[in-house]
Amino acid sequence: MTGERELIEFVTAQRWFGSKTRDVAHSKVVDRLTLRADEPRLELLLVEIRFDTGTHETYQLLADDSLDALADPRQVRELVHMIRGGAKMPGRGGVVEFAPVSGFGGELREARPVGAEQSNTSIVFDEELILKVFRRLEAGINPELELLRFLTEHGFPNIAELFGWYAYAGRQMDATLGILQRFVAGARDGWERALDTMGEGADDFISSVRRLGEVTGSMHSTLGSDSHDPSFCPEETSTESLGLLTATVDEEIESVFLDLPDDVPELEPIRGRGEEVRERLRLLTNLGGTGRVIRGHGDFHLGQTLWADGDWVILDFEGEPARSLPERRRKRSPLRDVAGILRSFSYAASAGPLLRGVEPPADWEARTRAHFLDGYREAVEQSLVPSGASMDKLLSVFELEKAVYELRYELNNRPDWVRIPVAGIVRMLEEEVPV
Amino acid sequence: MSITEPSNWFERDPLWFKKAVFYEIHLRGFYDGNDDGSGDFRGLAEKLDYLQWLGVDCLWLLPPYPSPLRDGGYDISDFFGIHPDYGSTDDFKYFVDQAHQRGMRVISDLVMNHTSADHPWFQESRTDPAGPYGDWYVWSDDDTRWSEARIIFLDTEPSNWTWDPVRGQYYWHRFFSHQPDLNYDNPEVQEQMLNVLRFWLDLGLDGFRLDAVPYLYERDGTNGENLPETHAFLKRVRAEVDARYTDRVLLAEANQWPADVVQYFGEGDECHMAFHFPVMPRMFMAVRREDALPMVEILESTPSIPEGTQWGLFLRNHDELTLEMVTDDERDYLYDEYAKDPRMKLNLGIRRRLASLLDNGRDEIQLMHAVLFSLPGSPVLYYGDEIGMGDNIFLGDRDGVRTPMQWTGDRNGGFSRADFQQLYLPPLMDPVYGFQAVNVEAQLRQPNSLLRWIHRLIALRKDHPVFGLGTYEALRPENPRIFAHVRTYEDDVVLCVHNLARSAQAVELDLSRWQGSVPEEMFGRTRFPAIGELPYLLTLAPRGFFWFQLRKDEGE
Repeated sequence: MTGERELIEFVTAQRWFGSKTRDVAHSKVVDRLTLRADEPRLELLLVEIRFDTGTHETYQLLADDSLDALADPRQVRELVHMIRGGAKMPGRGGVVEFAPVSGFGGELREARPVGAEQSNTSIVFDEELILKVFRRLEAGINPELELLRFLTEHGFPNIAELFGWYAYAGRQMDATLGILQRFVAGARDGWERALDTMGEGADDFISSVRRLGEVTGSMHSTLGSDSHDPSFCPEETSTESLGLLTATVDEEIESVFLDLPDDVPELEPIRGRGEEVRERLRLLTNLGGTGRVIRGHGDFHLGQTLWADGDWVILDFEGEPARSLPERRRKRSPLRDVAGILRSFSYAASAGPLLRGVEPPADWEARTRAHFLDGYREAVEQSLVPSGASMDKLLSVFELEKAVYELRYELNNRPDWVRIPVAGIVRMLEEEVPV
Repeated sequence: MSITEPSNWFERDPLWFKKAVFYEIHLRGFYDGNDDGSGDFRGLAEKLDYLQWLGVDCLWLLPPYPSPLRDGGYDISDFFGIHPDYGSTDDFKYFVDQAHQRGMRVISDLVMNHTSADHPWFQESRTDPAGPYGDWYVWSDDDTRWSEARIIFLDTEPSNWTWDPVRGQYYWHRFFSHQPDLNYDNPEVQEQMLNVLRFWLDLGLDGFRLDAVPYLYERDGTNGENLPETHAFLKRVRAEVDARYTDRVLLAEANQWPADVVQYFGEGDECHMAFHFPVMPRMFMAVRREDALPMVEILESTPSIPEGTQWGLFLRNHDELTLEMVTDDERDYLYDEYAKDPRMKLNLGIRRRLASLLDNGRDEIQLMHAVLFSLPGSPVLYYGDEIGMGDNIFLGDRDGVRTPMQWTGDRNGGFSRADFQQLYLPPLMDPVYGFQAVNVEAQLRQPNSLLRWIHRLIALRKDHPVFGLGTYEALRPENPRIFAHVRTYEDDVVLCVHNLARSAQAVELDLSRWQGSVPEEMFGRTRFPAIGELPYLLTLAPRGFFWFQLRKDEGE
């Protein structure tokens, strides 16, 4: 049996371990399923990590002699075989079911891991398939599986087709464990492309962003198109929904400002200005309509887009990893996604000099924003979003929410990047409130 | 169940109810989804985003079954349906599923003791004594039998027996005369009640609040409360639930002294939860007398309960603030302090809401919530108390505390788009508690509102399972105005200090066992000086409180 300390040491050292700032007290294996008994043996472990206050999180491990069987290409191939075969593997406390969507033939040869992921582990096969293994598990269907299936069934083309998934149903919980989808070969993600073209070719990029706006708008129109599916049907906002939004964002601002560390000089421009930010939020949330709420992408930024063969593909529908599954499944205004991508334009403009040593043209961000919004307004179903100044204000509310979320994330994970959300917050404080 | 369409949105946790915050909903008064003046399941489903935001874990519904509504639905005329005012069984299922998807569970009131006199079983029983339902109720020719049993609804009922001219016999009823008691000595009644439980659990309900459980059986020479036969039946109910379902909860309403109430936990094989009635009036007494002793004492005299069981704690609910579980002197005191107008009294209790009981004092409302949330047990909030709604003592019976939820400052308080005259009860419109002054929408937007504070309190409690799972240990400082105790669970140690006085207080606490630990205030995460050898000195604002997490000093 795997020792408690060994599990804790392994899990807490992983990039995908989400609670690095918390103190882990205990761990235990809540279920262990043999996926293959023959050598090389392959086991699936559900591991509970308990914090000092007694709350816990559950993680998926795939183990052979090591706790990281996904590092071995033979082992990951086995997972794909099981999805293809629709295997069903019973364990002590539950069953793992593998489910193919449509046939994908041929032997898998080459497998390579994808680097630098936040909350899961992905492996690419022969540049054709990509298997994404969700690490942190929560009860219920993962939004990524839910949205990919919905978008596929409703004919939205700008996604990487779903080929299958595997899931656990057991005493402890029902949870999605992983998905298999088409790997978009020869593509470059929007983030890299933005940075690579910042010096020369910026115009090409900026004009292609208009298309990204259209694709996003049409994604939202599709997501809000089915009034028969209770999980997706668009809903009118209630009278107090704007109040709920205000309260939610306001509390995030308050809590982030409460936790600002004293020893980070990059925070100086916003230090002590929490009340000012909250006041700004109150001004912005004085608005008329808020449009409708729908299921959205949930964590939309340039890194979740791919540019391939002259068009955009949208990826990663899991939602923000730090939020709970019911929270990620909540219907929100589609403008929340729009705000996410606008914030990432701002990130790119700052990251250009930082990562590539290239200064973007002075109006790079402004033009990128304008192009995106042009395309978006044209493609999105109009009843989903408010009009005129209300749209601008609501968008600013979500941008503020996003910048505050980024601030917390960077403080915990990438202190060098703290100044980007800081600059964003300062800029929002200085802007005129749309009227 | 299929893996891609999970019906289970929860991680398995047989003890979920110990960590949960409950929220009691008067369905009729929550939100009107079809503009007929009365709340319903469709309306409630529309408000789930609010409840999800609020952070409550489990919704407790007052009885949603068909009923002539002569006792707020506790007079059930069909155990297998939904009252048409509230919608259909499909609406109910939709609501439960939507609540589950948002991480909230749902329990519902169930009255096993009696039915409405309109129930077909009773109608059959009175017209056909020899028929299949003839023995389903408690009939007698003698209305002096079991005279030891007290009358509960003193204000309306002269006797527990009522003459039925149709059958020509008396029937037994512990509550209103229109609520005849079922005869649990009849095995068919027992069997049918188990069918009722299974029916709702199969529809996805997460459990029941079992109304009026102490009175199921009658026996000569007893007061007819807490009888061994009653416990035996409840054990049978529990065994049935455990055998077929996971993570469900049975919450007993037994308005009794702690020593009698603990019987309802059995040896962990009866009810999962029971309300702790006596602690609640003593909280009101403590805050008025500025004295922690009534609370410390009642908690001390509360027996320990089996593992896997939990107290349900509350400040107010849909009934009167019941004063059955206090001494006569204490009752006189509470009447004097909290029911200055005789209209505020009902039976042995006070029919007012939390905010008006506390003269709308914000500090007092927060202090009472802090005490409630810090005690060993799961707190149960009553709809509307999170925004400090008031009551209307000019409405009859307990209707004064069951007025429409106040969502906005708009017409009908945003509760319904129906004509005002059509509303099941008028919303509060007075200048202090009326919907224009007190509503969800305004309090959501106001950072310092009571609602926003309660929201933070709930979030804080949920971050610390210690409040639901931990041990409780009273500290008894010399200053009697301070209610202080320590909760401990695994590595989490929480110190709760409440000032019950209207004036600022200083207190010295003996924390020598935690010497070296650093108290970190839990709302603002401010670190206080480390605990040393000397008594720990704290000063508290009037009606103020501190909760500290005692952190082992690891440097920074």
